[in-house]
Amino acid sequence: MSKKVAIIAANGGMFDAYKVFNIATAAAASDKEVQIFFTFEGLNLIHKQAMHGLEMPAGKEHFAEGFEKANVPAIPQLVEMAQELGVTFIACQMTMDVMGLTKEDFIDGIEVGGAVTFLEYAKDAAPTLTF
Amino acid sequence: MIQANMQLDAKGLACPMPIVKTKKAITDLEEGQVLEVQATDKGSKADLAAWASSVGNQYLGTVEDGDVLYHYIRKGSNEPEVEQSFEHTVSLDGIESRDGLILDVREAAEYAFGHIDGAKSIPLGELDSRLLELDKEQEVYVICRTGKRSDLAAQLLANNGFTKVYNVLPGMNAWNGNIKKDI
Repeated sequence: MSKKVAIIAANGGMFDAYKVFNIATAAAASDKEVQIFFTFEGLNLIHKQAMHGLEMPAGKEHFAEGFEKANVPAIPQLVEMAQELGVTFIACQMTMDVMGLTKEDFIDGIEVGGAVTFLEYAKDAAPTLTF
Repeated sequence: MIQANMQLDAKGLACPMPIVKTKKAITDLEEGQVLEVQATDKGSKADLAAWASSVGNQYLGTVEDGDVLYHYIRKGSNEPEVEQSFEHTVSLDGIESRDGLILDVREAAEYAFGHIDGAKSIPLGELDSRLLELDKEQEVYVICRTGKRSDLAAQLLANNGFTKVYNVLPGMNAWNGNIKKDI
C-alpha cells in the first residue's frame, strides 16, 4: 500500500480550499506523506493575502453561516495544521511566472517547482487527487 | 463509564479536526493503552474506525450518549508475532463448555465491547495485584485478543502457584460465538 498521497489544487475558491486541506490534513494524520501542487487559481490557497479572503461560489454565499455553525476551522488554521503535520506545499513555477508572483507572495515554508517535480513525487502515490 | 487511560475532548469540532486531535493525543499513550475520544461530529465514528485500522491502532467501539459520541481506541493493535512460551494451551473451540473460569486479560474497554458470557475481566496490567480474586484450585482459561497477553498472564499465574492454567488460542479475534456487551 502506498504511503504517499498526491494532490493537485487547481482552483482558488473557498470550497476548493476545504476540499484540498481537509483531505490533506486527514491523510497526514493517518501517517501518509502528503504533497500538494498548487497551480493556476490554486495558488490563491497559499497566497499571503488571498488565502484570507477566499470567495464562495456565486450564489452560494449563504453557506457562510453553515460553515460557522458547523464550527469548521478557518482556512489559515487548516493550512497551519497541514504544515505542522508535515504536508509539503509546492507552488507551480510556470503559473507564478505567468501571474507575476514570487515566492515572497506566499506563506512561509513552501517550495517552488515545475510539473516534473510533482510527477516524480506522484508516480508511486496512491491516491492522486485533483481539486 | 468505560475505563480509559486518557480522555480527549473533541466536542464541537468538525472534520478533520477529531482525527487530527486523536492523532496528536495518542502519541502520548503507551502501546496497549486506551484513548477515549469525545466527539459530536457524526462522521467521526466511521472516520476513527477507518483511521485506526489504517495507522495500526485498534478501534474498540463507540458509545452514544445524547449528542456526544464516546469512541474507544487502543494504541497499537498490530501485536508482533511472538512465540508463545507458556506450554499449556487449549483451543478456543468449545471453551464455553469447559469447567472452570475463563479469565479475560484484555483492557476493560475491550472487554466492555464484547466478551464471552461468564468470563471474568482482569486486565493484564492489574493481574499481579488482583490474584486474590482467583481460586488456585480452579481451572483457569486465560484469553486475550490474539494470545500474546494471555501467554504472559498464564506465566504470571503459574509463577504464583496456579497449577491448572491454560492459555486459550488464538483469542477473541477468532471468536465467532455469542458476545456479551457491557455498554
